[in-house]
Amino acid sequence: MKTKRITESILDTTLYLSDLFNLILNAFKNLHFLKISPVRTVFFRQIYFAGIETFGKMVVIGMLIGVVIITQIINLVGLGSAVLTGKILIWVVVRELGPLLAAIIIIARSVTAISSELGAMNIENEIENIEIMGIDPSRYLIMPRVFALTLSAVMLTFYFELAAIFGGIAVTSVFWAVPFEQYSKGMLSSLTITELSVSLIKSLLFGMAIAAVSCSQGLKVRKSITQIPQATTRATIQSLFLVFIFDGIITFIFFI
Amino acid sequence: MIKLECASLKGLLECASFSMPEGDFCAVLAETDFDKNLFLRVLTGLTRLDSGKVFIFGKEISSITYAELGEVRKKMGVVLNRGGLVSNLKVWENLMLPLAYHASLSYKDMEEKMMNVLNNLGYNDDLNMLPGPLPTYKKKLLGLARAILTEPDLIIYDSVFDGLSSDIRNRALEAVNAFHEEKKGRASLFLATSEGSVKGLMAERVYVLKKGNFYERN
Repeated sequence: MKTKRITESILDTTLYLSDLFNLILNAFKNLHFLKISPVRTVFFRQIYFAGIETFGKMVVIGMLIGVVIITQIINLVGLGSAVLTGKILIWVVVRELGPLLAAIIIIARSVTAISSELGAMNIENEIENIEIMGIDPSRYLIMPRVFALTLSAVMLTFYFELAAIFGGIAVTSVFWAVPFEQYSKGMLSSLTITELSVSLIKSLLFGMAIAAVSCSQGLKVRKSITQIPQATTRATIQSLFLVFIFDGIITFIFFI
Repeated sequence: MIKLECASLKGLLECASFSMPEGDFCAVLAETDFDKNLFLRVLTGLTRLDSGKVFIFGKEISSITYAELGEVRKKMGVVLNRGGLVSNLKVWENLMLPLAYHASLSYKDMEEKMMNVLNNLGYNDDLNMLPGPLPTYKKKLLGLARAILTEPDLIIYDSVFDGLSSDIRNRALEAVNAFHEEKKGRASLFLATSEGSVKGLMAERVYVLKKGNFYERN
Protein backbone atom coordinates (compact mmCIF):
# COMPACT_ATOMS: atom_id res chain seq x y z
CA MET A 1 0.00 0.00 0.00
CA LYS A 2 2.78 2.38 1.02
CA THR A 3 4.86 1.44 -2.05
CA LYS A 4 1.83 2.08 -4.26
CA ARG A 5 1.36 5.52 -2.75
CA ILE A 6 5.04 6.38 -3.21
CA THR A 7 4.94 5.17 -6.85
CA GLU A 8 1.81 7.23 -7.52
CA SER A 9 3.39 10.28 -5.93
CA ILE A 10 6.56 9.89 -8.05
CA LEU A 11 4.44 9.46 -11.19
CA ASP A 12 2.34 12.54 -10.38
CA THR A 13 5.45 14.62 -9.77
CA THR A 14 7.03 13.43 -13.03
CA LEU A 15 3.85 14.25 -14.95
CA TYR A 16 3.62 17.67 -13.33
CA LEU A 17 7.25 18.47 -14.11
CA SER A 18 6.76 17.37 -17.73
CA ASP A 19 3.70 19.67 -17.90
CA LEU A 20 5.84 22.56 -16.69
CA PHE A 21 8.53 21.69 -19.21
CA ASN A 22 5.93 21.59 -22.01
CA LEU A 23 4.56 24.96 -20.93
CA ILE A 24 8.04 26.51 -21.21
CA LEU A 25 8.73 24.73 -24.51
CA ASN A 26 5.41 26.00 -25.88
CA ALA A 27 6.32 29.51 -24.79
CA PHE A 28 9.54 29.28 -26.83
CA LYS A 29 7.59 27.96 -29.85
CA ASN A 30 5.19 30.92 -29.56
CA LEU A 31 7.88 33.54 -29.04
CA HIS A 32 7.38 35.04 -32.52
CA PHE A 33 3.83 36.04 -31.52
CA LEU A 34 5.39 38.89 -29.55
CA LYS A 35 5.18 40.83 -32.81
CA ILE A 36 1.38 41.00 -32.35
CA SER A 37 0.52 44.20 -30.51
CA PRO A 38 -1.94 42.86 -27.84
CA VAL A 39 0.58 40.11 -26.94
CA ARG A 40 3.34 42.71 -26.68
CA THR A 41 1.11 44.79 -24.40
CA VAL A 42 0.68 41.84 -22.03
CA PHE A 43 4.47 41.31 -22.11
CA PHE A 44 5.28 44.95 -21.26
CA ARG A 45 2.63 45.05 -18.53
CA GLN A 46 4.20 42.02 -16.89
CA ILE A 47 7.68 43.56 -17.23
CA TYR A 48 6.33 46.69 -15.58
CA PHE A 49 4.65 44.79 -12.76
CA ALA A 50 7.25 42.07 -12.13
CA GLY A 51 10.35 44.07 -13.03
CA ILE A 52 10.04 47.84 -12.83
CA GLU A 53 7.66 48.04 -9.84
CA THR A 54 9.88 45.62 -7.90
CA PHE A 55 13.12 47.42 -8.79
CA GLY A 56 13.19 49.88 -5.86
CA LYS A 57 12.49 47.26 -3.21
CA MET A 58 15.03 44.91 -4.79
CA VAL A 59 17.78 47.57 -4.66
CA VAL A 60 17.04 48.46 -1.02
CA ILE A 61 17.01 44.79 0.05
CA GLY A 62 20.19 44.18 -1.99
CA MET A 63 22.01 47.03 -0.25
CA LEU A 64 20.93 45.84 3.18
CA ILE A 65 22.03 42.29 2.39
CA GLY A 66 25.40 43.65 1.21
CA VAL A 67 25.80 45.54 4.50
CA VAL A 68 24.93 42.43 6.54
CA ILE A 69 27.33 40.19 4.59
CA ILE A 70 30.30 42.57 4.67
CA THR A 71 29.82 43.18 8.42
CA GLN A 72 29.86 39.43 9.09
CA ILE A 73 32.89 38.87 6.85
CA ILE A 74 34.87 41.63 8.56
CA ASN A 75 33.91 40.20 11.95
CA LEU A 76 35.17 36.83 10.76
CA VAL A 77 38.40 37.69 8.91
CA GLY A 78 39.22 41.16 10.27
CA LEU A 79 40.04 44.42 8.50
CA GLY A 80 43.49 43.37 7.30
CA SER A 81 42.30 40.85 4.66
CA ALA A 82 40.68 43.21 2.18
CA VAL A 83 41.36 40.95 -0.82
CA LEU A 84 39.77 37.97 0.90
CA THR A 85 36.81 40.10 2.03
CA GLY A 86 36.17 41.27 -1.54
CA LYS A 87 36.43 37.71 -2.79
CA ILE A 88 33.96 36.33 -0.24
CA LEU A 89 31.52 39.16 -0.94
CA ILE A 90 31.53 38.35 -4.67
CA TRP A 91 31.24 34.61 -4.09
CA VAL A 92 28.37 34.90 -1.65
CA VAL A 93 26.45 37.56 -3.54
CA VAL A 94 27.00 36.63 -7.19
CA ARG A 95 27.17 32.87 -6.87
CA GLU A 96 24.44 32.29 -4.32
CA LEU A 97 22.47 34.98 -2.59
CA GLY A 98 21.89 37.28 -5.56
CA PRO A 99 19.90 34.88 -7.74
CA LEU A 100 18.31 33.15 -4.76
CA LEU A 101 17.06 36.21 -2.89
CA ALA A 102 15.95 37.95 -6.09
CA ALA A 103 13.93 34.80 -6.93
CA ILE A 104 12.38 34.76 -3.45
CA ILE A 105 11.33 38.41 -3.76
CA ILE A 106 9.84 37.70 -7.20
CA ILE A 107 7.98 34.70 -5.77
CA ALA A 108 6.58 36.82 -2.95
CA ARG A 109 5.39 39.47 -5.36
CA SER A 110 4.58 37.95 -8.74
CA VAL A 111 3.66 34.30 -8.20
CA THR A 112 0.58 35.12 -6.16
CA ALA A 113 -0.41 37.85 -8.62
CA ILE A 114 -0.11 35.69 -11.74
CA SER A 115 -1.72 32.54 -10.34
CA SER A 116 -4.65 34.41 -8.79
CA GLU A 117 -5.20 36.54 -11.91
CA LEU A 118 -5.28 33.51 -14.22
CA GLY A 119 -7.39 31.58 -11.72
CA ALA A 120 -9.97 34.36 -11.54
CA MET A 121 -10.00 34.65 -15.33
CA ASN A 122 -10.65 30.91 -15.57
CA ILE A 123 -13.54 31.00 -13.10
CA GLU A 124 -15.15 33.91 -14.94
CA ASN A 125 -14.77 31.97 -18.24
CA GLU A 126 -12.62 34.80 -19.59
CA ILE A 127 -10.00 32.39 -20.90
CA GLU A 128 -12.68 30.50 -22.86
CA ASN A 129 -14.04 33.82 -24.14
CA ILE A 130 -10.56 34.65 -25.41
CA GLU A 131 -10.39 31.24 -27.11
CA ILE A 132 -13.78 31.83 -28.78
CA MET A 133 -12.29 34.93 -30.42
CA GLY A 134 -9.72 32.67 -32.10
CA ILE A 135 -6.96 33.76 -29.74
CA ASP A 136 -4.82 30.97 -28.33
CA PRO A 137 -4.45 31.61 -24.55
CA SER A 138 -1.02 29.98 -24.53
CA ARG A 139 0.13 32.68 -26.97
CA TYR A 140 -1.75 35.61 -25.52
CA LEU A 141 -1.69 34.90 -21.77
CA ILE A 142 1.08 32.40 -21.01
CA MET A 143 4.01 33.10 -23.35
CA PRO A 144 4.31 36.84 -22.52
CA ARG A 145 4.12 36.07 -18.80
CA VAL A 146 6.83 33.41 -19.01
CA PHE A 147 9.27 35.66 -20.88
CA ALA A 148 8.46 38.81 -18.94
CA LEU A 149 9.02 37.08 -15.62
CA THR A 150 12.23 35.43 -16.86
CA LEU A 151 13.61 38.71 -18.18
CA SER A 152 12.58 40.47 -14.95
CA ALA A 153 14.33 37.77 -12.89
CA VAL A 154 17.58 38.24 -14.84
CA MET A 155 17.50 42.04 -14.63
CA LEU A 156 16.46 42.14 -10.97
CA THR A 157 19.18 39.64 -10.03
CA PHE A 158 21.74 41.85 -11.76
CA TYR A 159 20.58 44.98 -9.93
CA PHE A 160 20.29 43.10 -6.64
CA GLU A 161 23.91 41.94 -6.92
CA LEU A 162 25.08 45.41 -7.90
CA ALA A 163 23.24 46.95 -4.94
CA ALA A 164 24.58 44.32 -2.51
CA ILE A 165 28.19 44.90 -3.63
CA PHE A 166 27.72 48.67 -3.52
CA GLY A 167 26.12 48.43 -0.07
CA GLY A 168 29.02 46.32 1.17
CA ILE A 169 31.63 48.73 -0.15
CA ALA A 170 29.77 51.79 1.15
CA VAL A 171 29.49 50.47 4.68
CA THR A 172 33.18 49.50 4.89
CA SER A 173 34.23 52.88 3.51
CA VAL A 174 32.02 54.83 5.89
CA PHE A 175 32.34 52.82 9.11
CA TRP A 176 35.79 51.19 8.80
CA ALA A 177 37.38 53.72 6.44
CA VAL A 178 38.75 51.01 4.14
CA PRO A 179 39.46 52.41 0.65
CA PHE A 180 37.69 50.81 -2.31
CA GLU A 181 40.99 49.96 -4.09
CA GLN A 182 41.82 47.41 -1.43
CA TYR A 183 38.63 45.47 -2.08
CA SER A 184 38.59 45.87 -5.84
CA LYS A 185 41.60 43.57 -6.27
CA GLY A 186 39.85 40.65 -4.55
CA MET A 187 36.56 41.43 -6.24
CA LEU A 188 37.95 41.64 -9.75
CA SER A 189 40.01 38.47 -9.34
CA SER A 190 36.91 36.50 -8.23
CA LEU A 191 34.50 37.99 -10.75
CA THR A 192 35.17 35.48 -13.54
CA ILE A 193 33.04 34.42 -16.48
CA THR A 194 32.03 31.33 -14.48
CA GLU A 195 30.63 33.47 -11.64
CA LEU A 196 28.68 35.64 -14.04
CA SER A 197 27.45 32.65 -16.08
CA VAL A 198 26.27 30.82 -12.97
CA SER A 199 24.39 33.89 -11.83
CA LEU A 200 22.81 34.31 -15.26
CA ILE A 201 21.89 30.62 -15.63
CA LYS A 202 20.38 30.54 -12.17
CA SER A 203 18.29 33.66 -12.68
CA LEU A 204 17.12 32.42 -16.11
CA LEU A 205 16.09 29.02 -14.76
CA PHE A 206 14.53 30.47 -11.62
CA GLY A 207 12.51 32.97 -13.68
CA MET A 208 11.24 30.29 -16.06
CA ALA A 209 10.39 27.87 -13.26
CA ILE A 210 8.54 30.53 -11.25
CA ALA A 211 6.57 31.67 -14.32
CA ALA A 212 5.69 28.12 -15.39
CA VAL A 213 4.51 27.12 -11.91
CA SER A 214 2.40 30.24 -11.39
CA CYS A 215 0.76 29.99 -14.84
CA SER A 216 0.15 26.26 -14.46
CA GLN A 217 -1.43 26.61 -11.01
CA GLY A 218 -3.55 29.56 -12.18
CA LEU A 219 -4.87 27.56 -15.13
CA LYS A 220 -5.78 24.65 -12.86
CA VAL A 221 -8.42 26.71 -11.04
CA ARG A 222 -11.70 25.55 -12.51
CA LYS A 223 -14.70 25.37 -10.25
CA SER A 224 -14.74 27.63 -7.30
CA ILE A 225 -13.30 30.89 -6.04
CA THR A 226 -11.93 29.04 -2.98
CA GLN A 227 -9.49 27.30 -5.32
CA ILE A 228 -7.71 30.62 -5.98
CA PRO A 229 -5.98 30.95 -2.58
CA GLN A 230 -5.19 27.23 -2.70
CA ALA A 231 -3.60 27.68 -6.13
CA THR A 232 -1.55 30.69 -5.03
CA THR A 233 -0.29 28.85 -1.93
CA ARG A 234 0.65 25.79 -4.02
CA ALA A 235 2.33 28.01 -6.62
CA THR A 236 4.38 29.81 -3.95
CA ILE A 237 5.56 26.63 -2.22
CA GLN A 238 6.31 24.80 -5.48
CA SER A 239 8.20 27.80 -6.88
CA LEU A 240 10.34 28.00 -3.75
CA PHE A 241 10.95 24.27 -3.86
CA LEU A 242 11.98 24.32 -7.53
CA VAL A 243 14.22 27.35 -7.02
CA PHE A 244 16.12 25.61 -4.20
CA ILE A 245 16.40 22.38 -6.22
CA PHE A 246 17.77 24.22 -9.27
CA ASP A 247 20.10 26.21 -7.04
CA GLY A 248 21.52 23.02 -5.57
CA ILE A 249 21.91 21.33 -8.94
CA ILE A 250 23.65 24.30 -10.62
CA THR A 251 25.97 24.91 -7.68
CA PHE A 252 26.83 21.20 -7.65
CA ILE A 253 27.55 21.15 -11.42
CA PHE A 254 29.75 24.26 -11.40
CA PHE A 255 31.55 24.23 -8.10
CA ILE A 256 32.01 20.64 -6.95
CA MET B 1 -22.29 27.60 -42.58
CA ILE B 2 -23.49 25.50 -39.65
CA LYS B 3 -24.47 21.88 -40.03
CA LEU B 4 -25.10 19.21 -37.43
CA GLU B 5 -25.26 15.60 -38.58
CA CYS B 6 -26.78 13.08 -36.16
CA ALA B 7 -25.19 15.05 -33.32
CA SER B 8 -25.46 13.46 -29.90
CA LEU B 9 -24.41 14.91 -26.57
CA LYS B 10 -25.62 13.51 -23.30
CA GLY B 11 -28.37 15.68 -21.85
CA LEU B 12 -28.66 17.95 -24.91
CA LEU B 13 -28.73 16.31 -28.32
CA GLU B 14 -29.91 12.91 -29.54
CA CYS B 15 -28.88 12.30 -33.13
CA ALA B 16 -29.97 15.86 -33.91
CA SER B 17 -29.70 17.45 -37.32
CA PHE B 18 -29.56 21.14 -38.00
CA SER B 19 -28.54 23.19 -40.97
CA MET B 20 -28.00 26.87 -41.50
CA PRO B 21 -26.88 27.95 -44.96
CA GLU B 22 -24.93 31.07 -45.96
CA GLY B 23 -26.84 34.33 -45.57
CA ASP B 24 -29.40 32.75 -43.25
CA PHE B 25 -30.76 34.49 -40.17
CA CYS B 26 -32.33 32.09 -37.75
CA ALA B 27 -33.03 31.67 -34.07
CA VAL B 28 -32.87 28.65 -31.81
CA LEU B 29 -34.97 28.59 -28.67
CA ALA B 30 -33.64 26.25 -26.03
CA GLU B 31 -35.65 25.05 -23.07
CA THR B 32 -33.14 26.13 -20.44
CA ASP B 33 -30.10 28.39 -20.13
CA PHE B 34 -28.00 25.30 -19.56
CA ASP B 35 -29.09 23.78 -22.91
CA LYS B 36 -28.51 27.06 -24.71
CA ASN B 37 -25.03 27.48 -23.23
CA LEU B 38 -24.10 23.89 -23.99
CA PHE B 39 -25.24 24.27 -27.59
CA LEU B 40 -23.14 27.43 -27.88
CA ARG B 41 -20.14 25.52 -26.51
CA VAL B 42 -20.67 22.82 -29.15
CA LEU B 43 -20.80 25.42 -31.93
CA THR B 44 -17.65 27.16 -30.71
CA GLY B 45 -15.72 23.91 -30.30
CA LEU B 46 -15.41 24.21 -26.51
CA THR B 47 -17.43 21.03 -25.94
CA ARG B 48 -17.11 17.97 -28.13
CA LEU B 49 -20.04 15.80 -29.17
CA ASP B 50 -20.34 12.23 -27.93
CA SER B 51 -21.06 11.22 -31.53
CA GLY B 52 -22.04 12.81 -34.82
CA LYS B 53 -20.55 15.78 -36.62
CA VAL B 54 -20.60 19.58 -36.41
CA PHE B 55 -19.57 21.48 -39.53
CA ILE B 56 -18.75 25.18 -39.34
CA PHE B 57 -17.74 26.79 -42.64
CA GLY B 58 -17.63 23.24 -44.04
CA LYS B 59 -15.05 22.05 -41.51
CA GLU B 60 -15.85 19.32 -39.05
CA ILE B 61 -14.69 21.04 -35.91
CA SER B 62 -14.21 18.00 -33.72
CA SER B 63 -11.66 16.45 -36.09
CA ILE B 64 -9.53 19.51 -36.91
CA THR B 65 -6.42 20.67 -35.08
CA TYR B 66 -6.47 23.42 -32.47
CA ALA B 67 -4.81 25.82 -34.93
CA GLU B 68 -7.45 25.06 -37.59
CA LEU B 69 -10.18 25.56 -35.00
CA GLY B 70 -8.61 28.94 -34.26
CA GLU B 71 -8.92 29.83 -37.96
CA VAL B 72 -12.62 28.85 -37.91
CA ARG B 73 -13.20 30.91 -34.75
CA LYS B 74 -11.53 33.91 -36.39
CA LYS B 75 -14.31 34.03 -38.97
CA MET B 76 -16.98 33.70 -36.27
CA GLY B 77 -18.29 36.39 -33.98
CA VAL B 78 -19.92 35.44 -30.70
CA VAL B 79 -21.86 37.96 -28.65
CA LEU B 80 -22.19 36.56 -25.15
CA ASN B 81 -25.10 37.44 -22.89
CA ARG B 82 -22.84 39.01 -20.25
CA GLY B 83 -20.55 40.64 -22.78
CA GLY B 84 -17.66 38.22 -22.37
CA LEU B 85 -15.23 41.05 -21.65
CA VAL B 86 -11.76 40.51 -20.19
CA SER B 87 -11.70 42.07 -16.73
CA ASN B 88 -8.08 43.24 -16.72
CA LEU B 89 -8.34 45.10 -20.03
CA LYS B 90 -9.81 48.56 -20.38
CA VAL B 91 -13.01 48.93 -22.38
CA TRP B 92 -11.24 50.13 -25.54
CA GLU B 93 -8.64 47.36 -25.24
CA ASN B 94 -11.42 44.80 -24.97
CA LEU B 95 -13.06 46.15 -28.10
CA MET B 96 -9.84 46.21 -30.07
CA LEU B 97 -8.47 42.87 -28.84
CA PRO B 98 -9.67 40.53 -31.62
CA LEU B 99 -9.18 43.21 -34.26
CA ALA B 100 -5.62 44.04 -33.18
CA TYR B 101 -4.78 40.36 -32.78
CA HIS B 102 -6.06 39.15 -36.15
CA ALA B 103 -6.25 42.13 -38.48
CA SER B 104 -3.41 44.20 -39.83
CA LEU B 105 -5.10 47.58 -39.53
CA SER B 106 -3.35 50.66 -38.25
CA TYR B 107 -4.24 51.88 -34.76
CA LYS B 108 -5.92 54.96 -36.25
CA ASP B 109 -8.13 52.87 -38.55
CA MET B 110 -9.09 50.55 -35.71
CA GLU B 111 -9.97 53.47 -33.47
CA GLU B 112 -12.06 55.09 -36.19
CA LYS B 113 -13.89 51.83 -36.83
CA MET B 114 -14.48 51.33 -33.11
CA MET B 115 -15.90 54.83 -32.63
CA ASN B 116 -18.27 54.36 -35.60
CA VAL B 117 -19.64 51.11 -34.21
CA LEU B 118 -20.02 52.57 -30.71
CA ASN B 119 -21.83 55.62 -32.09
CA ASN B 120 -24.24 53.36 -33.98
CA LEU B 121 -25.00 51.50 -30.78
CA GLY B 122 -25.38 54.73 -28.82
CA TYR B 123 -22.56 53.86 -26.41
CA ASN B 124 -20.97 57.01 -25.04
CA ASP B 125 -19.44 56.00 -21.72
CA ASP B 126 -15.76 56.25 -20.70
CA LEU B 127 -13.64 53.87 -22.80
CA ASN B 128 -10.64 54.10 -20.47
CA MET B 129 -12.22 52.32 -17.55
CA LEU B 130 -12.06 48.65 -16.66
CA PRO B 131 -15.31 46.81 -17.49
CA GLY B 132 -15.91 45.45 -13.97
CA PRO B 133 -18.12 48.26 -12.59
CA LEU B 134 -20.19 48.59 -15.79
CA PRO B 135 -23.83 47.48 -15.70
CA THR B 136 -24.60 44.26 -17.59
CA TYR B 137 -26.46 45.99 -20.42
CA LYS B 138 -23.38 48.09 -21.20
CA LYS B 139 -21.21 44.98 -21.17
CA LYS B 140 -23.65 43.39 -23.63
CA LEU B 141 -23.44 46.41 -25.91
CA LEU B 142 -19.64 46.30 -25.76
CA GLY B 143 -19.66 42.56 -26.53
CA LEU B 144 -21.90 43.30 -29.50
CA ALA B 145 -19.61 46.12 -30.66
CA ARG B 146 -16.54 43.87 -30.35
CA ALA B 147 -18.12 41.16 -32.51
CA ILE B 148 -19.34 43.67 -35.12
CA LEU B 149 -15.85 45.21 -35.34
CA THR B 150 -14.32 41.95 -36.58
CA GLU B 151 -16.89 41.73 -39.42
CA PRO B 152 -17.39 37.97 -39.10
CA ASP B 153 -19.05 35.79 -41.74
CA LEU B 154 -21.02 34.01 -39.05
CA ILE B 155 -22.29 35.72 -35.93
CA ILE B 156 -23.90 34.00 -32.97
CA TYR B 157 -25.89 36.03 -30.45
CA ASP B 158 -26.42 34.57 -27.01
CA SER B 159 -29.61 36.18 -25.59
CA VAL B 160 -28.16 39.64 -26.02
CA PHE B 161 -31.44 41.49 -25.77
CA ASP B 162 -32.48 40.13 -22.38
CA GLY B 163 -32.59 42.77 -19.68
CA LEU B 164 -32.25 45.78 -22.01
CA SER B 165 -34.58 48.76 -21.81
CA SER B 166 -36.86 49.10 -24.83
CA ASP B 167 -34.91 52.09 -26.14
CA ILE B 168 -31.53 50.36 -25.98
CA ARG B 169 -33.05 47.10 -27.20
CA ASN B 170 -34.46 48.79 -30.29
CA ARG B 171 -31.13 50.40 -31.07
CA ALA B 172 -29.27 47.11 -30.61
CA LEU B 173 -31.90 45.28 -32.65
CA GLU B 174 -31.50 47.77 -35.45
CA ALA B 175 -27.72 47.29 -35.33
CA VAL B 176 -28.07 43.49 -35.40
CA ASN B 177 -30.46 43.53 -38.34
CA ALA B 178 -28.37 46.08 -40.23
CA PHE B 179 -25.18 44.12 -39.58
CA HIS B 180 -26.76 41.00 -41.08
CA GLU B 181 -27.77 42.88 -44.20
CA GLU B 182 -24.41 44.63 -44.54
CA LYS B 183 -22.55 41.74 -46.12
CA LYS B 184 -23.94 39.23 -48.59
CA GLY B 185 -23.71 35.69 -47.32
CA ARG B 186 -23.30 36.63 -43.67
CA ALA B 187 -25.17 34.20 -41.42
CA SER B 188 -26.65 35.17 -38.07
CA LEU B 189 -27.78 32.73 -35.41
CA PHE B 190 -29.68 33.91 -32.38
CA LEU B 191 -29.80 31.72 -29.30
CA ALA B 192 -32.42 32.35 -26.63
CA THR B 193 -34.71 30.64 -24.17
CA SER B 194 -37.86 32.68 -24.57
CA GLU B 195 -40.04 34.01 -27.39
CA GLY B 196 -39.68 37.56 -26.11
CA SER B 197 -35.94 37.51 -26.76
CA VAL B 198 -36.36 37.01 -30.51
CA LYS B 199 -39.20 39.50 -30.95
CA GLY B 200 -38.41 42.08 -33.63
CA LEU B 201 -35.55 40.08 -35.13
CA MET B 202 -35.70 39.56 -38.88
CA ALA B 203 -35.04 35.84 -38.35
CA GLU B 204 -36.26 33.81 -41.30
CA ARG B 205 -36.72 30.66 -39.27
CA VAL B 206 -37.08 29.88 -35.59
CA TYR B 207 -36.17 26.45 -34.25
CA VAL B 208 -37.00 24.97 -30.91
CA LEU B 209 -34.40 22.75 -29.30
CA LYS B 210 -36.49 20.20 -27.43
CA LYS B 211 -35.97 16.63 -26.32
CA GLY B 212 -32.63 16.39 -28.04
CA ASN B 213 -33.67 17.65 -31.46
CA PHE B 214 -34.46 20.79 -33.45
CA TYR B 215 -38.02 21.48 -34.56
CA GLU B 216 -38.88 24.34 -36.89
CA ARG B 217 -41.58 26.54 -35.44
CA ASN B 218 -44.36 27.62 -37.78
